[in-house]
Amino acid sequence: MNQFLQATIYGLLQGCMFGLVAVGFSLVWGVMHVINLAHGAFVLLGAYLAWQLHAAFGLDPFLGMLPAGIVLFAFGYALQRGLINLVVNAPIFITLLLTFGLELLLVNGLILVFTADYRSIPTTYAGRSFVLPGDIHIPFGRLIAAGGAIAVTSGLFYVIRRTRTGLAILATGMDRGAARLMGIGARHVYALTFGIAAGLAGMAGAAVGAVNTFSPADAGRYTLLSFVAAVLGGLGNTSGALIGGLLLGLVEAWGGQLLGGTWINAVAFAVLVLVLAIRPQGLVGKAYYASRVEV
Amino acid sequence: MTEAQSTADAVTVSADPAAADRGIGGAAVSGERQLEVTSSKPSGGADAGARARQLAPLIGWMIGAGLLIASFGLLTQLYTGQVRTVTTIFTFVGLASAWNLIGGFTGYACFGQVGFFGLGGYATAVFMTHYGLDFWIALPLSAAIAAGFAALVGWPLLRLRGHYFAVATLGVAEGLREIVINLPNLTGGGGGITIPTAGADAPTPWLGNDGFYVLFLLLAATTVGVAGFVSRHRSGYALRAIHQDEEAAAAIGINTTKAKILAFAGSAALTSAIGSAYAFQQVTIFPERLFDVHLTVLMVVMVVLGGAGTVFGPVIGAVLIAYASEWLRQELPQGHSFALGGLIVIAVILLPQGISNYVRDGLREKRFSMLDNIRRYRL
Repeated sequence: MNQFLQATIYGLLQGCMFGLVAVGFSLVWGVMHVINLAHGAFVLLGAYLAWQLHAAFGLDPFLGMLPAGIVLFAFGYALQRGLINLVVNAPIFITLLLTFGLELLLVNGLILVFTADYRSIPTTYAGRSFVLPGDIHIPFGRLIAAGGAIAVTSGLFYVIRRTRTGLAILATGMDRGAARLMGIGARHVYALTFGIAAGLAGMAGAAVGAVNTFSPADAGRYTLLSFVAAVLGGLGNTSGALIGGLLLGLVEAWGGQLLGGTWINAVAFAVLVLVLAIRPQGLVGKAYYASRVEV
Repeated sequence: MTEAQSTADAVTVSADPAAADRGIGGAAVSGERQLEVTSSKPSGGADAGARARQLAPLIGWMIGAGLLIASFGLLTQLYTGQVRTVTTIFTFVGLASAWNLIGGFTGYACFGQVGFFGLGGYATAVFMTHYGLDFWIALPLSAAIAAGFAALVGWPLLRLRGHYFAVATLGVAEGLREIVINLPNLTGGGGGITIPTAGADAPTPWLGNDGFYVLFLLLAATTVGVAGFVSRHRSGYALRAIHQDEEAAAAIGINTTKAKILAFAGSAALTSAIGSAYAFQQVTIFPERLFDVHLTVLMVVMVVLGGAGTVFGPVIGAVLIAYASEWLRQELPQGHSFALGGLIVIAVILLPQGISNYVRDGLREKRFSMLDNIRRYRL
């Protein structure tokens, strides 16, 4: 029982991080109809940025989330405005290939600069943990990371639902033609959306760097993780991505207890395919994606 | 581009949302242009045009046969290292052409193609290692297994469209890799499996560099041949119709489910045969290599940049990119993937419709400005 509880807590904490990684991916997918294969590379860019800040100025990695987020927001904005907007109306393969090319550029750029070695950002407190009665450990670093993830995603939902900018993003995602007729500058909104997604990935990266080891080769894993979380939560459904991430974290933690070895990954992909085949709008939420109008 | 123009563009896309959703090389766009050209052509030129169109497949087959003979001749002129490079290029020609059947003609974005490659490779490795089966029996058997598997998963998954299909097939391929990793007694797990290729317990001795050159050349030729046959056959027109508008295709009496599953299974069988030969060539295979997502993406890059839904486009794309990749690997051992990424980004922006479509349309309209390409898809 204690073991199960421990796994649940671990899974929930891990799931919050997965959610933060996936939420930007899902936002870009929902608003712009673009699968960003470079998303995992953005996460790692954030991690390396936080690592560099820590190495140079001794900045705490959780405080490093902020500069990482800001730098990646600027990077993402410029990338969308200058490059991805050029092909955003093209068939899906074109945008897939473009972001794949970007992923190759970023990941191999990181390897050239930082080498392919695994790194982590050491802190004095992240390794410690609370001990609850029943010998249940709550690792301190993961708790902060999960709290940060929840705070950041809540902030995103507030921005999207309650501010004019956020509503402009939603409107553009629902019907770009109509949004433009209402005076929304689609180029700017798209760039803003991509910038926000990249910034969220950067913040997730800094948090990941504080609790996990990372290397440029992990980029594909994080992209895939975002894929699975986004699909479980419903494609393009931003709050669904957080729930998808939590679900993924839980499944991983419980599966690790029940199934031996790495069978859990096979089960995760089987679930992914089944969900898509039976309920493509995701486990939670309604078919937001399908209701989009193509203009 | 003015706002009005962009809205006009947008409207043509929205007229066919399903095709735009799934589409690759802008089939809707090229079809539309064809219409323009036929209507603007004086009626006297129609006869010559029709005759040229009848001759086109014949010329295509002749070019293909010429290339095949030339490739055999090339073998006598190459050093050992070069033979290996050209063999790699043939591998990719075959893979790209096989993906073109489902991705190019049918317009279904299969992002799990490498799963069939790995399935074929591992099936062959297991047959040869554990059951002592001859390679020449294992290869068709592996292809048949992949075709059966594709039909099985294709039946539910081919109802999905666009991104959904892409993600689902990606999940299938990743799942296959995980299964292979978790069956160490059968597949060697993450540590890989080694096919016995020499000595008494080798079912088939290793073919040698020249032998594999010929094997991959024949596999590539078969795949391109299948694509050439399909492109002029009823079934190919059915697939193109599905690509453009699936509801309309069903309405004119095409059994879309059957056509899609056949295309998917055929594509899977060809990919699996190439994977099977690849496993035998490599002798020791690892799940990380045989189920590498990058392989799928390379196939897609080759097809899209060469020209999706054409017969020779994927061949051109595969030769160019495989050669560029090998060349970069030798010239820039540190940064070749970096350079390849830059190359892909530039090529996608400048040539989104693919080289063969670009040349064909350019010759027809006498416009070769790549800026037109950028204007077409930008926001």
